[in-house]
Amino acid sequence: MIRILLSLILLFALSSCENDRSKLHLYGWEEVFSKEIIAEFEKRYDTTVIFDIYDSNETMYAKLRTGASGYDLIVPTLYFVEIMQKQGMLEEIDWDQIPNVKNLDLNAIWLVPDNIKKNAFPFYLSYSGIGFRTDRITTPTISWHIFNSKEFSRRMTLLNDIREVIGAALITLGFDPNTTNPEEIDHAKQLIINWKKHIAKFENEQYKNGLATGEFFLSQGYSGEIMQVMEENPKINFLIPEEGSLISFDFFAIPKGAKNKDLAMKFINFMYEPEISAKNMISFLERIPNQEAYPLLPEYLRESHVLFPSEETQERLHVIRDLGEDIKLYHKAWEEIKE
Amino acid sequence: MRRSLFPFITTISVIIFLYLPVLILMASSFNESRFSSEWLGFSFKWYHRLFEERDVWEALKNSLYVGSAATILSTIIGSLSAFALYRWSSRLQSIHWGLIYSPLVVPDILMGMSLLILFLAFQVDLGLMTIIIAHTTFCISYVAMVVYARLEQFDDHLIEAALDLGASSWQVTARVVIPFLLPAIISGALLAFTISIDDYIITSFVAGPGTSTLPIYVYGMIKFGATPIINALSTIMLTVTFVLAIAIQLVSKESTI
Amino acid sequence: MWSKRSEWLITSSPFFWLLLFFLIPTLIVIAFSFKPSELYGGIGSGWTLETIGKIFTRSTARLLFRSTWIAISVTALCLFLSLPVGYYIGSLRGWRKHFMLLLIIIPFWSSFIIRIFAWKQLLHPEGFFHKILVNLNLIQPDATLLYTTSTVILVMVYSYLPFAILPIYASASKFDHHLLEAAYDLGMGKLKAFFMIFIPSIKNGIYSATLLVLIPAIGAYVIPDMVGGTHSMMIGNKIAEATFIERNIPFASALSTLMMSVVLLPLLLAAILQNRQDKAHAIKGGH
Repeated sequence: MIRILLSLILLFALSSCENDRSKLHLYGWEEVFSKEIIAEFEKRYDTTVIFDIYDSNETMYAKLRTGASGYDLIVPTLYFVEIMQKQGMLEEIDWDQIPNVKNLDLNAIWLVPDNIKKNAFPFYLSYSGIGFRTDRITTPTISWHIFNSKEFSRRMTLLNDIREVIGAALITLGFDPNTTNPEEIDHAKQLIINWKKHIAKFENEQYKNGLATGEFFLSQGYSGEIMQVMEENPKINFLIPEEGSLISFDFFAIPKGAKNKDLAMKFINFMYEPEISAKNMISFLERIPNQEAYPLLPEYLRESHVLFPSEETQERLHVIRDLGEDIKLYHKAWEEIKE
Repeated sequence: MRRSLFPFITTISVIIFLYLPVLILMASSFNESRFSSEWLGFSFKWYHRLFEERDVWEALKNSLYVGSAATILSTIIGSLSAFALYRWSSRLQSIHWGLIYSPLVVPDILMGMSLLILFLAFQVDLGLMTIIIAHTTFCISYVAMVVYARLEQFDDHLIEAALDLGASSWQVTARVVIPFLLPAIISGALLAFTISIDDYIITSFVAGPGTSTLPIYVYGMIKFGATPIINALSTIMLTVTFVLAIAIQLVSKESTI
Repeated sequence: MWSKRSEWLITSSPFFWLLLFFLIPTLIVIAFSFKPSELYGGIGSGWTLETIGKIFTRSTARLLFRSTWIAISVTALCLFLSLPVGYYIGSLRGWRKHFMLLLIIIPFWSSFIIRIFAWKQLLHPEGFFHKILVNLNLIQPDATLLYTTSTVILVMVYSYLPFAILPIYASASKFDHHLLEAAYDLGMGKLKAFFMIFIPSIKNGIYSATLLVLIPAIGAYVIPDMVGGTHSMMIGNKIAEATFIERNIPFASALSTLMMSVVLLPLLLAAILQNRQDKAHAIKGGH
């Protein structure tokens, strides 16, 4: 009798150990994982996914810095991968252990520096550019210089983001958006102070609503967000300006000391199944560089110049890198711009 | 000598000024059209859409939960505070008065910052509990003010009379003081509840990324969502608040807050 | 009747709660102003004066100056509107008084966010109000009513007006209107009587109203963020940006400490004035 009891207890103990090990602690942006996809992963791998949200890389970084955060998988942007790599906060990811790496669209990630690949696997890419109302702007291309003109005074917005705005100004002036040259940054600052006279405000989120309701005619914005507005409102379009713009990459990464590294790797692999990638792209309208998924997309997405910019456009794109201490130059310029 | 009409006219103008924007907002919630520039007919469709939004129920649930908890806590603590301030006047009470008065004049952003930093310093995870603590903190002062105002109208002689008639301290408290204070305690509680439900700034500092209360949800919608749905939600929230405000006034006929 | 021990017992819960959740956090904020900020957000170890140094820039000075004059403008406008209103309602009797008061109070209870949003819609460049103003030739067709400093002041007055009306009404309702009638009988003009008799006797209400508007107004940031433009940034916005976007907690703390100091000045002034008034009362033997 006692032996049966003991073995039952042992069985329970073992099975609950199993359960602890097979919970995936996911930490990411709210929109990037749809509930259906998570549910499907849970079903297929007989596991539970606990999904916590953060609203900025900085929040995620702050939480992980204290160590032992309990997360198995995070979604940092490229320059944060660099930062976390430098501080030894990430586990190594062996790409060969992810069978679906064969689906990776290498063309899409040509801007990703090689040294990132040791600790991160690409998740999606996103562009910033200009979203605008087609009933007000009818030219086939658009330039950052539009912010210099009084034509749409007070009906334009720029993002409230240091790297995006200063980056756009640097690109317009022909400089590298990752420059640490104080003169170039100062030049960009002067340009933005001029732009400031013609915009309504610096805005990171309300511009979408503003474009949709006609409050704004054009806004610096992100491709995925503007695509969302475009889905509801055919009078909106998105273009990457003639001078160029910024592209950003978000990656999967595994924090050091994660308990369920295998499960995390399985999740990464799962996300690169063609159907799963396609479903995800449809739900959050960003490009996942999975070439097997592209044919599975509905036509309006496959043909989208927003998700799939032309080669010629892609050459005008720059990626934001970590600048270390030199970021202070940008902070100072931004402070003077905003006052 | 005829009284000047200026104060009267100003008052009416102010009242129109205060109500016009919200009345227009409420009217727009019934507009068939998405745009306020055109009226396409009367419709409940935005309300239907509102009820389909899943997250609004979560936010409502959180708001009610936080509101109730904060109301109970702050009413008890605030009433005690008012009583102490009224009854005693010592060094302790001077400091106590400072502590009670300050939250009323401090800008919300400073209160939000200091609470956030307290939680960061002690590595407390932000969530519903931190919101409840924050709300209780600023509601205590409001309740205290309301109850104190009522206490100022209390006739001490009643206590003397009761004691003379042989009542014990506790009996006097329970049978004389508390019934007198009850209207003020109730209106203080309603006030705390209303303030908690409507608070945005301080809540935004101490709520975690996934936690949402009704004002935070509205703010999120203003940034991301469809305008008329916000109007519908706002109309409902305004109506509830109006009803609560009327209730507060009816319960505490003499109070000015 | 209630002993000294009871005093401690009863005072303890509000006292310690506010100590723990109001006073101590304020002190921690001041303390954090002396901590270094890490490059990528986060609080560094050790102590430094560097963070405090960072707030003494021209930008901060401009923001502070702008926040102060906006706050003063808003306070002045609120007082200007609330004095006649407080006077009028205070002069009413019976159900009329309660009814008017109710009308004034109700918006006070509604959600701050909703009221700001109402203005965002009202002033929308494609909205009906804009069209009406253009048709009446009051504004140009391409004028923007939103995202200017005037918009910020307007919406702030709208938000804070009830806070000004209530204390003034509270004082005004204790005012004896016969004093004014006596003054009129003695030949004093209406306006003169208003300023020389009414205003001084509701001094307390005016002080309260000023404090209740001026101080929160200095700390405003949601209103400039939602309806303000590129030249209406206030110091609160900088604190919010430092906290939520840059995650630079020491810098945000340093700015908050600065704001606290600025806000403390009118409060101290009010306390001193109140003290002098109390002493005067005590000497007069009043109660």
